[in-house]
Amino acid sequence: MAAPDAGSAAASLVRVRLVAVQTFAEALRLRLTVLLVFIGAALVLLAWTLRGFNLGVAELRFIADFGLAAISLSGTVLATFGLAHLYFRDIEGGLAALVLTRRVGRGEYLAGKLVGVAALLAWFTAALAVLLAAMLAWRGTQLGANEVLPAVFLQACALTWLKLILSAAMTLLVCSYAGSALFAGSAGLLLTVAAHLRVFAPTEGWLAWVRFWPDFGLFETGPLLAGREAGLVGLAGMGAYWLFFMILFTGLAAYVFRRREF
Amino acid sequence: MLIGDHWAVELDGLTKSYPTGWRRRPVPAVRNLTLKLAPGQVLGLLGPNGSGKSTTLKALAGLIHPTAGQCRILGRPAGGREARGNVGYVPEVLTLALHQTGRGFLAYCAGLSSLPPERAATRIKAVLAWMGLGDAAERAVATYSKGMRQRLGLAQAVLHEPAVLLLDEPMSGLDPEGRIAVARLIRDLARQGRTVVLTSHLLTQAEEVCDRLALLGEGRLLACGTTADLLGSFAPEPAQPSRLEKIYLEKLHGRA
Repeated sequence: MAAPDAGSAAASLVRVRLVAVQTFAEALRLRLTVLLVFIGAALVLLAWTLRGFNLGVAELRFIADFGLAAISLSGTVLATFGLAHLYFRDIEGGLAALVLTRRVGRGEYLAGKLVGVAALLAWFTAALAVLLAAMLAWRGTQLGANEVLPAVFLQACALTWLKLILSAAMTLLVCSYAGSALFAGSAGLLLTVAAHLRVFAPTEGWLAWVRFWPDFGLFETGPLLAGREAGLVGLAGMGAYWLFFMILFTGLAAYVFRRREF
Repeated sequence: MLIGDHWAVELDGLTKSYPTGWRRRPVPAVRNLTLKLAPGQVLGLLGPNGSGKSTTLKALAGLIHPTAGQCRILGRPAGGREARGNVGYVPEVLTLALHQTGRGFLAYCAGLSSLPPERAATRIKAVLAWMGLGDAAERAVATYSKGMRQRLGLAQAVLHEPAVLLLDEPMSGLDPEGRIAVARLIRDLARQGRTVVLTSHLLTQAEEVCDRLALLGEGRLLACGTTADLLGSFAPEPAQPSRLEKIYLEKLHGRA
C-alpha cells in the first residue's frame, strides 16, 4: 500500500490519527483514568440510594439525571487534568520534541492530542453509561415502568460527551501557553465551571462580555430526560454551537502553540 | 563538500535571548554564533551548563525561534517542514511510552515520518539490528536498560534516513559499554555521509567521536576547529586513551 504524499491532507490525517491513537493508549494507562473510573462508577451507583425516597416511576428519571451528573463531574476532571497531564508528560519527557522535529505540524499534533482525549472521554462516558443503563433497566423491571427511553438516554449521554470534549478543548488552549500541568488542569477546570455558571451572566454592565463564553447550560440533560426534546432543528443548532467553540478553542490553541518553545 | 550548493548545517549569526524576571529582561543564551558543517562531519558542541549548547541544537531542530540570525539545514530554514524531513533529533531527556514495545515505538515514529509501510518495516528491522535491539524488539520499553533506551532513541532518529542528526547529550548517564556502543554508532553514521551535531559534557568521548569541536562559553563561540587542531593548540600533552574503561571491559567480558 502506497503512503500518501507527506504534504497532502490524507497524510496530515494519518499523522493526526497516529498521535490520537498513541494518546488514547497512554491515557487508558493513566492512574488518574483508573481512579476516576472507580470514583465515577461509585457516584453512579450512589443513585441507587434514591429508591429510598418512594418517588414512584419518576425515580428512574432521577437515577438517570443523578448518574449523568456523576459522569459529567468525574469526566470533567478527566478532561481537564487528564489532558493537561498527557500534554505536559509529552513536553517534559521529550516526546513532543521528538514528534515535532518530524514532518508533523504543530496543529496536527494538538489535533491528535484532542482527538485522543475525545476517544478516552467517549470510552469513559460509554463505560459508565452502560453501568447506569443496567441500573435503570434493573430498577425499571422492579417498578414495571420504562420512564427513560433508550433513544433519550443515548442523546443525553452524547450531550454529556460533547460537553466534556469542549472542556478538554478549553484546557488545551490553556496548555498551549501554560508552564505546568497543575496550572493548566486547574485553569481548565475553572473555565468549565465558568461555562456552567454562564447562564447567570448579566446582559448589561461590565460583566456582559461573559455572555461570549460557551454556555454549558445548553448541554444540560435534565430537560431532555423530562421529555422536553430539542427536536432536529434544536439539535442541529446545538451541534453548530458546539462546533463553533471547538474550532475557536482549538484554533486559538494551535495559533499560540506555533510560537511555543521547548 | 556540499549537497547541491548548500552546507548540511549552517548557523549564521544565531542569537537567542530568553526573557527573565518580572521585567522580562532578555538574557542571551547564544550570541552571534556562526558555523558551517559539510556532510559526514561530526561536530561536538562542548561547554559548561548554560553555555548555549542545547539552545543551539534546539534552534537547529526548529524547537525554538532565534532572536536574530538564521539556522539552515541543507539550505532550508530550520523548523520548516522540508528541513524537518532531513533531521533526526534525540532530546537530552526522552521518556518513552513504557507500555510500548521497541518495534511498536519505531512503527509510530515511521508513521509520523510518512514512511510507506513496506519501507517502514524494512527500516525498522534494519535499524533494530544495527542498534543491537533485534532480540528486544518485542519487549516493552519498560524492561529496557538506560543504554537500550538511549539506543532506541537513536534508532528513531535514524529511521527515516535523515541527512542531519542532532543529538543532545547522547552519552550522558550511560555506562562505559553503552558509551562506547553509542560512540561507535555515531562514527558509523558519519561514515554513511550523515552530518552529526552533538552536545556533550564528556570531553574524552567527544574527542574520540567528533572530527570538529566548538567550544562554547556564556553563549559565545570560544574556539572552533578540527579536533586535531584544537588538541594541538589547547592541549600540549597528547591525549591519553581511557585505560580504565579498557580494563573495565576486559574484566566484564574477558576481552579488551
